[in-house]
Amino acid sequence: MYWGGNPAECHPRHFTKYTLMQKSKFLPRGRKDRTMVLVDIRETKSAKASDIFLQVRPGKDFELITILRAMIKEQHVGDEQIAETGMTREVLDDLVHRMKSCKFGCFFFGMGLSMTRGKHMNSAALLTLAAEMNAFTKFVAMPMRGHGNVTGADVIMRWQTGYPFGITFNRGYPRYNPGEFSTVDVLVRGDCDAAFIIGADPGATMPQPAIEHLKRIPTICLDPHVTHTSNLARVHITTAPQGIAAPGTAYRMDELPLPLKPALKSPYPSDEEVVRRINAAIAEKPFWLAEGSQPQMITNQV
Amino acid sequence: MTITLTLKQAPAVPLEAEVLSPDVFAELSNAEIRALIVYNGKRQVPLEEFFDVDGERSDELVLHGDLTKVRLIGRGMSKGSVTVHGRVGMHLGAHMKGGRIEVHGDASDWIGAEMKNGFIHVHGNAGGQIGAAYRGSLAGMKNGTIIVDGTAGLEVGMRMRRGTIILGGQAKDFTGLQMKGGTIILMDGAEIRTGAWMNRGTIISMKPIKLMPTFAESNDSNPTFMNVYARQLKRFGVNLPFAASEGIYQRFSGDLAVPGNGEILVWQPA
Amino acid sequence: MLRITGGKVYDPANEIDGQIKDICIDDHGQIVDSVDGGRTIDATGMIIFPGGVDVHTHVAGGAMNFARAMTPEDHRRTQAFIRTKNRRSGLGGMAPTTFATGYLYAGMGFTTVNEAAVPVLSARHTHEELADIPIVDKTTLTLMANNEIMMDQMEAGEYERAKNVVAWYIWAAKSYGVKAVNPGGVAAWKWGADAKQLSSPIAGYNTLTPGKIVTMLATICDDLGLPHPMHLHCNNLGAPGNISTTLDTLKHLEGHRAHIAHSQYHAYGGDGWDTMCSATAQLAEYFNTHPNITTDAGAVLFGDTVTITADGPWQHLLYKLTGRKWGNLDVENETGCGIVPYTYRPSNLVNAVQWASGLELMLLIKNPWQVFLSTDHPNGGCFWRYPEIIQLLMCADFRKECIAKLPDKIKGRITLPEIDREYTLYEVATSMSAGPARALGLTQKGNLGVGCDADIVIYEEEDDVARMFSHPRYVIKAGEIVIEDGDIKETPEGREFLVKPNYAPETHEFMRPLFEDCYTMQFDNYPVELERIENPVMQPLKLEK
Repeated sequence: MYWGGNPAECHPRHFTKYTLMQKSKFLPRGRKDRTMVLVDIRETKSAKASDIFLQVRPGKDFELITILRAMIKEQHVGDEQIAETGMTREVLDDLVHRMKSCKFGCFFFGMGLSMTRGKHMNSAALLTLAAEMNAFTKFVAMPMRGHGNVTGADVIMRWQTGYPFGITFNRGYPRYNPGEFSTVDVLVRGDCDAAFIIGADPGATMPQPAIEHLKRIPTICLDPHVTHTSNLARVHITTAPQGIAAPGTAYRMDELPLPLKPALKSPYPSDEEVVRRINAAIAEKPFWLAEGSQPQMITNQV
Repeated sequence: MTITLTLKQAPAVPLEAEVLSPDVFAELSNAEIRALIVYNGKRQVPLEEFFDVDGERSDELVLHGDLTKVRLIGRGMSKGSVTVHGRVGMHLGAHMKGGRIEVHGDASDWIGAEMKNGFIHVHGNAGGQIGAAYRGSLAGMKNGTIIVDGTAGLEVGMRMRRGTIILGGQAKDFTGLQMKGGTIILMDGAEIRTGAWMNRGTIISMKPIKLMPTFAESNDSNPTFMNVYARQLKRFGVNLPFAASEGIYQRFSGDLAVPGNGEILVWQPA
Repeated sequence: MLRITGGKVYDPANEIDGQIKDICIDDHGQIVDSVDGGRTIDATGMIIFPGGVDVHTHVAGGAMNFARAMTPEDHRRTQAFIRTKNRRSGLGGMAPTTFATGYLYAGMGFTTVNEAAVPVLSARHTHEELADIPIVDKTTLTLMANNEIMMDQMEAGEYERAKNVVAWYIWAAKSYGVKAVNPGGVAAWKWGADAKQLSSPIAGYNTLTPGKIVTMLATICDDLGLPHPMHLHCNNLGAPGNISTTLDTLKHLEGHRAHIAHSQYHAYGGDGWDTMCSATAQLAEYFNTHPNITTDAGAVLFGDTVTITADGPWQHLLYKLTGRKWGNLDVENETGCGIVPYTYRPSNLVNAVQWASGLELMLLIKNPWQVFLSTDHPNGGCFWRYPEIIQLLMCADFRKECIAKLPDKIKGRITLPEIDREYTLYEVATSMSAGPARALGLTQKGNLGVGCDADIVIYEEEDDVARMFSHPRYVIKAGEIVIEDGDIKETPEGREFLVKPNYAPETHEFMRPLFEDCYTMQFDNYPVELERIENPVMQPLKLEK
């Protein structure tokens, strides 16, 4: 089941390489052995690939998933309430039946779910539904992530700090609060007085107040290309493109690490080399804490 | 005798000041208070760099100025009072165990998050996650009272276990999300998804609200606890109707998705 | 160079039991007969142990990293490591961050850890995490018992091929040995099923049973001459009455070497949660008569933790029992894992039985060279709580105080109240260092003899055993003083021990079509490059047999 994503156009290899076409030991007929459901607010190109297309009313994903959570537990939901999501009882009864009787169900959800009204709670709803479906059959859920190697950043932040994103180190140790310390919120509120941007182009994607703040403060950008962000940055360091001219590791969206083997040489240094050199230069400066002083942990939390 | 703190200059980056708490100030001299450490971004600076401090050895604090970027005020406090004249930043009274906080102005997100007890009154508007659980925590506020005269943001009372939240203005989405107990009173209703995934607890709305599809109407009533409740709330200046002649509370239960035993009461004037 | 004088040395590998003896360390971090010059530590009145060796822990990899993401509420309340000039920041707690893991292990005198569950697919990731765990040396074990390519060979009766496949996988993962988790059960979980009976065919297979996997994989590990035998997490973990499964499994291991992981979770009697009781006496009896098998306790300590295991079906059950958070990962056709935060409570009868059972095994198995200190971190408790277990083992009176706090209904369900044995320091040194090092085949570890690695922990002798073991006076890693008076002085990089078992050269091309048939990545990208391992050390195979 794809929910709020359009893999036919955004992840074009997904159907053929992973989800639909592959013939396998237990699904020898490939596509014929699988059922694909697409849930979206409009009939995208991905709908053609699906067996069942469910057109949910815009902004009703959270409600629809919550109804499904109730229905799998055989709780009664009124016809009128179902109709508000753009569905009918027959359609949902059929869907629930198919979900419960499949051998292995998988949700893939895209930004149509995770970035629309309700945001993280929409994702949470689908993840919860997947977890609860395991009372009946095997079910999993996975986000269809957008930018290159965002999963890799997430994975490394977790092993080094315990948190995936939205982290502050202002007390010398990692603290986490999405909404407070996450990049877009920090920029929109104007909470930082410098920015260091690597492997991203917030100048193209973030809301205007965030972009305005990036323009106000010293912004440093590492990027192989000229981007919206590099144009507004005070400093743009051109680096070798990762995977093409710089080696490394990219994490696939299922957190599988893949080695990157460069095919070309670049006259520019890799991101890694630039960061190492900046780090070495910082290490020459006085330590950020005065001798003998130690920041206070935020305690008394149970 | 109070201690008055006046903000000299608004910080450019957030100022974390969990020391602005009656528990910390109660036994300190003026000089000791001025030397308390606050965090301006990552830099540790004495409180006096940002505040003029008048008074000492008191558990009654009065703060003046635009404290929008000043966070963690009254965090974990157990006694005394904090009065703010101006806007105030995030985490006001988070984890507090007792005492009072009053804000004559607007407040930000995470007011009274995971508080155990105490009283917070914001006369202006507030942000989201009031009395909520921090990300990953199983329970939000465990007791106490939070009143916001104005509007509020997302996820008010998220996973709260006990206590009362009263909002004079409208709340945004997900009010009472995954509530486990306690009461939320909405004098001016809320946007959408009120009571989503609630397990237990009560949400009372004086205005019609958009309900989740997974709530079922159970029965109209003026539950007996309403008059007890209404009397209790009077002391906070909140007038909750309860006489049958005035109208009736429509009662919905849910969230069926959990399935939970929460209730949402919506006032229908006669 | 370093000389340690005047301390009471407990070095079970050399049968030294508290004699006062000088220890000399050369510039290469090895123990030598004598040195000229260098620093001298006066260890008079102190106790000297070989550095601790954790035979079974989960400190890195996809599952642990998932657990970190799942438990921000624990990170907020836990000990934080604030960054200093020579130390990076991190968080302790149930699922510590990598840097903190190194500091916490070293901080209680452990210098070698065995990460006991690595899927080959995420081995590249696991090694990168391990490289970020400072100070301690590491080994990793590859999850094999539910690998479909191997299982297909076993089902077809192709023993030699299966052996080559296992050897190929070990080298592809750049690992140290084989871990078997719930043989067949994790594969069955992909069908929503489990494998509880050793003699029943596994879901998706016609004749292959968990019992056959157990015997064949143990034989393979022996035949390949791996320094560490098959490391087995038995079927039917955690279930009341699972002692019969465990004993049945052990019968399948007759004549082989094997290490049974966290046996506490596999030693229960009764036929339901209401009647669950300890069956450690039966299991201990087996160990006492079968010196070819080693085990670790997998002891439980009361409090909060997060459970992480490749045993997916068990974790789903635990999720339903707790109603709390649950994470599940499937690792293609190799394995999977589940993650559930959990609180062990003394008032909970099942938890109380588990707590007692772990201690019983450590006390009833007579030979400390056979049973090692572990909590199956973080499953039974966090590794940084080991000193609490040592106290329970060394002090019968303290143990009795703790038993008295358990619910009355515990009577008759456990044998702990009848056990008076107290561990000696010599036995503790065996169980936390010399024994696990020998079981892992790490001859240079857990040993203060000449030529061994100078990994040494020095304690100030005191009556409060828990305090003593959690606050070493000095910790020395490869001859370098890393902890002194509770301060982290140095944070050197650790090393990783690897083996390269022999396999037929054609195995690589044999694997290619099978791999391309069922994996989703490029075959040539699959094996971890040796250059990705930080400070690799090749450990020799045991091929004389």
